[in-house]
Amino acid sequence: MKQPDSLNEMSREERSPLAHLENEDLMPLPAPLDSPAKDHNWTALSEQTRERYECGLDDTCAVSVPKPKNRQEEDELVAKFLSGLDKLFTQENNWTFLQPLVLTMEHCAQCQTCSEACHIFEASGGNELYRPTYRSEILRRLYFKYVQGGGLLSAWQHGDIRLNWPLVARLIELSYRCNLCRRCAQTCPIGADNGLVAHELRKLFSQEMGIAAKELHDNGTMLQLKAGSSTGMNAEAVKDNIDFIDEDISEKTGIAVKTPWDVEGADVLLIHNAGEILAWPENPGAFALILDAAGISWTLSSELAAYDSVNYGLWYDDAQFARVAVKHAEAARKLKVKKIVLGECGHAHKALAVIADRVLTGELAIPRESSMTLLRDIVMSGRLTLNPSRNDFPVTLHDPCNLVRLMGVVEPQREIVRAICPRFREMEPHGVDNFCCGGGSGFAIMSGHNFQDWRFHVSGRKKLEQILNAFSDCLEPETPKYICAPCSNCKGQFRDMLAYYRLWDKHRILYGGLVELIVNAMTDVKPGFIEWEWH
Amino acid sequence: MPVFEVHGKQYEVDEDGFLENPEIWNEDVARDFATTEGVEGLTDGHWKVINYLRSYYLQYGIAPMIRKLCKETGFKLNEIYDMFPSGPAKGACKLAGLPKPTGCV
Repeated sequence: MKQPDSLNEMSREERSPLAHLENEDLMPLPAPLDSPAKDHNWTALSEQTRERYECGLDDTCAVSVPKPKNRQEEDELVAKFLSGLDKLFTQENNWTFLQPLVLTMEHCAQCQTCSEACHIFEASGGNELYRPTYRSEILRRLYFKYVQGGGLLSAWQHGDIRLNWPLVARLIELSYRCNLCRRCAQTCPIGADNGLVAHELRKLFSQEMGIAAKELHDNGTMLQLKAGSSTGMNAEAVKDNIDFIDEDISEKTGIAVKTPWDVEGADVLLIHNAGEILAWPENPGAFALILDAAGISWTLSSELAAYDSVNYGLWYDDAQFARVAVKHAEAARKLKVKKIVLGECGHAHKALAVIADRVLTGELAIPRESSMTLLRDIVMSGRLTLNPSRNDFPVTLHDPCNLVRLMGVVEPQREIVRAICPRFREMEPHGVDNFCCGGGSGFAIMSGHNFQDWRFHVSGRKKLEQILNAFSDCLEPETPKYICAPCSNCKGQFRDMLAYYRLWDKHRILYGGLVELIVNAMTDVKPGFIEWEWH
Repeated sequence: MPVFEVHGKQYEVDEDGFLENPEIWNEDVARDFATTEGVEGLTDGHWKVINYLRSYYLQYGIAPMIRKLCKETGFKLNEIYDMFPSGPAKGACKLAGLPKPTGCV
C-alpha cells in the first residue's frame, strides 16, 4: 500500500499519485469473496488520461479536470479557489451551511472516532488518504491561514499548508472520495461534520470554479433543467414510456393500470426518480397499481423537471439545488395538489423534504411526504389483501443514508417488510447505523475512466460484506435472495456491484425496490410479479 | 477530448469511450467500436439491436428503456448480454453511437 505521510504531500508539484491500493491491502471480505488473489485486477488509468487530466491523487479519476496549460492558468485557478474559500465563510454567500462549517473548522479534537465510522477508510485497509480527517484538516489549515489570516503563531498552533494548483487539483478529486453518508458526523462527540466538508469543497469547486463531475452537472442538473429530466427524457418520451409500463404491468398482473397525468386537485403528486422509469419500470408500475388499489387520488406531472425527482445539486451546488427544488414545488402548486410524495429515491427525499425547506416558502410551502410512510399506512390499514407466503425467500433491507440516517425514516419500511416477508433478516448494523451502498453522492452514476473499480473495491466494500453476512446461511444458488433497496441510486450500485462480483450468476442474489415486494404479495395479482431474472 | 484510434481511424470520444458526435455514426463505427466492448463479429442479432437503438435515439434523443429494447427486438436481457458482454447501456449503445445514458439509470 502506498499512502501519504503528511498533508504536505498534497502540494507536491510532481503528480505521481499519493496513494495506491492492491487487492491485498483492502479490508478482507467473507466467503465467497475471501480471496484477494481471485478478486478483479484494477484497470489502470491510461497514458492518455494521465496526460490530459489531473490524476495525482490515487488510482482513479472522478472529475476529469483538464491540466492547465501553463503557470498563469494555474495561478488563475488558485486565485478563484481562494475567492471561493472566502465566500464559503461569509454569511451572505453561504447562508445555508456556514454555521456547521465553522463549527467543524474550529472544534475538531482529532480524536479519530470518525475514522472508525468511515466505511471508505476501513475498506481501504486504513489508507491515510481516505481518513475522514485528512480532507478536513487540509480545509481547516487553509481556513486558519487564508480566511482567518493567521500568521506564524497560527501556523504553529493549527499547522501550516502550502497552497498551490497541485493541492487544489488533488483536493477536487479528494472531495469525490466521500459518499456524503455522514456516518462520521453522526458519531462525532463534538458534532464536527466531515461529510459537510467534502460537500462544501465540491460546492466551492462548482459555484466558484465551474468544476463538477460531468455526470452530476452537465449531464445531470443542466440536462434536467433543459430537457425535463437528467435522463434526457422530454415530456413526450416520458409519457410514451409510462404508456409502455402501464401496458406491461397490466398484462403481467392481470389488473388494468392507467397512470394519471396532470390531474388538477389530486391529493398526491407522485414524483419518481426518472431513472426508475427507464431502468426499473416495474417500480413505477408497482406504485401505480398499489395507489389505485388503495383508492388514493394521485397524479404524475409532465411539467419540466417535475417527472424526475432527482436533485443532484444536493451533492455539489446550492444554486443548482435551489433551481430544481423550486421546479418541483411549482409543479405541485400549479396542479393544486395537497402534497408531494417522493418515490423510492433517497437523495430526492432529503433534497425536497428537508434541505429545500428554507427555499420553499409562501405558496411553495407544499407538504412533502415520503412514500415509505404512505405505503406503510396503506399496507397496515388492510386496504390491500396480501399473502406473505408469496414472498417466501430471504430478504434483507438496505437503508439508504439520505432517507434513514439523515431523515430518520427508519421504521415504516421495516414494518412493511416484517409484515410481508417471512424470511426477512436485518443487515448488521442497520437503521441509522447502516453503511452506505458505496454509490452515495452520485458515485453510482459516475463511471468515467476506471472509477467503477474504485467504487466496487473501496466505497462499496463494506456494504458487500454486510450483504454476504446477511445471506451467509443461504448462499447456495438454489435459494433466490432479495436485497430490498428503496432508492434508485443504491439500486444502481447494487446492480453494478452484484454483476461485477457475479453474485447473481453464482449465488442468486438479486436486488429491487419495496413496492415490488408489496405487489408480489398481493393476492389479486397473478403470482410471480418479481421475476427472478437478472435486470 | 480523448481520441480512440482503430483501424487507422480516429474518433473523438468522451471519458467513457462513447462517440462524441453521435451524428457521424455509420455502420463502420459499430464495427470499429465492437473491439472495445468484447464483441466478436456482428451478427444479424447485433444489427437488430443496434438498428432499434439507433432509430429510437433519432426519434426521442435518448436510449430506450431496456425492457422496451427487449420487447421490441424479441431478445431476453441475458441474450443481449451474450451479444454485448458489457451490457445494453455501455456496450450496445456505444456501438450504436448513442451518447452514454445519463441520470440514475
